[in-house]
Amino acid sequence: MAIELMNVRFHYPEQPRQAVLNIPFWSLPSGEQVFVHGPSGGGKSTLLNLLSGLLMPNEGQVDILGRRLDQMTSRKRDSFRAKHIGYVFQQFNLIPYLNAFDNTLLARQFSQRRKKQVQNDEIKELFKSLNIAENDWHKPARNLSIGQQQRVAIARALINKPQLLIADEPTSSLDSINRDAFMALLMSTVTDNDITLVFVSHDLSLSRYFNRVESLSEINRLEGST
Amino acid sequence: MMFTKLALQSLLDRKGSVVLALMAMSVSIFVLLGVEHIRHQAKESFSNSVSGADLIVGARTGNLNLLLYSVFRIGSPTNNIRWKTYQAIANSNNVKWAIPISLGDSHKGYRVLGTTTDYFQHFSYGKQHRLVFPLGRAFDQVFDVVLGAQVAKKLGYQLGDELILAHGIATTSFSMHDDRPFTVVGILAPTGTPVDQTLHVSLQGIEAIHLGWQQGVKIPSSSRSQVELEQVDLQPRSVTAFMLGLKSKMTTFRVQRAINEYAQEPLLAILPGVALSELWQMMSILENTLLLVSALVFVAACLGVSAMLLSSIRERSREIQLFRVIGAPPYFLFFLIELEALLITLLSCTLAAAFLAACLVLLRDYLVASFGLHMEINLFTENNFYLFAALISASIIIAVIPSFSGYRQARVIQG
Repeated sequence: MAIELMNVRFHYPEQPRQAVLNIPFWSLPSGEQVFVHGPSGGGKSTLLNLLSGLLMPNEGQVDILGRRLDQMTSRKRDSFRAKHIGYVFQQFNLIPYLNAFDNTLLARQFSQRRKKQVQNDEIKELFKSLNIAENDWHKPARNLSIGQQQRVAIARALINKPQLLIADEPTSSLDSINRDAFMALLMSTVTDNDITLVFVSHDLSLSRYFNRVESLSEINRLEGST
Repeated sequence: MMFTKLALQSLLDRKGSVVLALMAMSVSIFVLLGVEHIRHQAKESFSNSVSGADLIVGARTGNLNLLLYSVFRIGSPTNNIRWKTYQAIANSNNVKWAIPISLGDSHKGYRVLGTTTDYFQHFSYGKQHRLVFPLGRAFDQVFDVVLGAQVAKKLGYQLGDELILAHGIATTSFSMHDDRPFTVVGILAPTGTPVDQTLHVSLQGIEAIHLGWQQGVKIPSSSRSQVELEQVDLQPRSVTAFMLGLKSKMTTFRVQRAINEYAQEPLLAILPGVALSELWQMMSILENTLLLVSALVFVAACLGVSAMLLSSIRERSREIQLFRVIGAPPYFLFFLIELEALLITLLSCTLAAAFLAACLVLLRDYLVASFGLHMEINLFTENNFYLFAALISASIIIAVIPSFSGYRQARVIQG
């Protein structure tokens, strides 16, 4: 299994009585791609932060790629995330003042794979495979179009060859042409590299790209919710 | 490498506020470094002004006044010492050598010092450096003059040139000894002491130009010919002060007491080292106040940089979240912000040092001419090294505030 959540409960420290997540059980086999939809404020981002180890559950087990995140130290979780998990957001995926190349290189730094020449070659390879034009490689991220930024975000997320990719509404800022191009690129990349994908969006029209579609409300069984 | 690049790019991204913080810090470091450098150099320059002399003797006055007028040619003597007294002390058993000093005349703002050739033999400065003649020799005729290095350079005199001394010490004098020109026979090597700004003539020369003068005024038609002069006894009747070298250092206090209790004439003997440290003690309140004010200005600039970094953290919450998502631990943010503060401080130090060095180059001649201060332009002294280390440490400590805020923000990720 790539993901296994058991009896996970989470609330923010400042609101201890208001549970944000209550997941009795949820799992995702390795190499599978799942589309999770739900309304804004339904706890989507919180779920993704739990999966990436940025947040810790108050109760329950979070098993990612066979490792218990809830039993790791904060430092180990950071290192685990850098090595095994890629992340693409809706926006602000890149450090705006760094260029596309350095943004990708930075993600590489935290995974502790530091052979410079190899990593430079790998980034160039990856950029080419994602059709990122060469003259955009050294432009500051803020000077790239949103579509280009999302492509670089995929490159940044994939540079450490993650087994799990988390996408948090990555197409929300794109127009329909760019959205379709982005989805085609994302799906072919994860399929080719056998990457497990958790794709969260409120846009149900994107569910056609996935074999498995789930509603957040089915995963997150909050008391009093439907 | 990537870490430094990230910090640099991050600062470049916030040029406006960073440049202002950088300017504030550069100005504060410039002031601090300037005060500290000038203080240190002035102390060095003053302390080096006289060495080797065990006692300085003058008419009874304050220790500092005697030191200032005899060594630094600042201020005026209260009275002169009779020649007989000088001779009696100079010839006493404990005295190895004596250098008489006669002040009161000037040339284009530079002081004229009447002395004997013993001056060139025994006077030493810095770490027992003797005076040397790269050009010419010591005076041996009545109207010979030996120039300090700065006088020769500034006024463009060369060996064989003639010059006229003025009565009194004003830069522009209406009482000139224009009937008795002096000939330049020697130019001394630079010493970095008041010697460089002094014209040296024999005591007989001083006597000769004042023949026919009364109460500082030349009596008309009193000029004497060279032949007449040779017949006149040019033995000085008084000197302003004198320096003593003793046969044994052990006798210093005994000789000092004997001079201070000299019955025939009220005299004061001072130990130059003690008087110099007294001078610095007097200045230390001003010195410390200046240092404190500049240190406070620096702390204010550090706080300014920290405030700038702190407010930037609020703008950078998304950036911080992104760092965390790609695997950066919270302490990475702490060190990133510390590095940003460090880069601002290092750049400020460089700018301030460069600006100070430029100012010193431009003001060097002015400082020498006006204050007799020889400033070392090389700022990489041990003293400044410690100062830079203190500045950098202070900025790192103060930057803990925004760095910790960045660290805390990195720990608390909201969904």
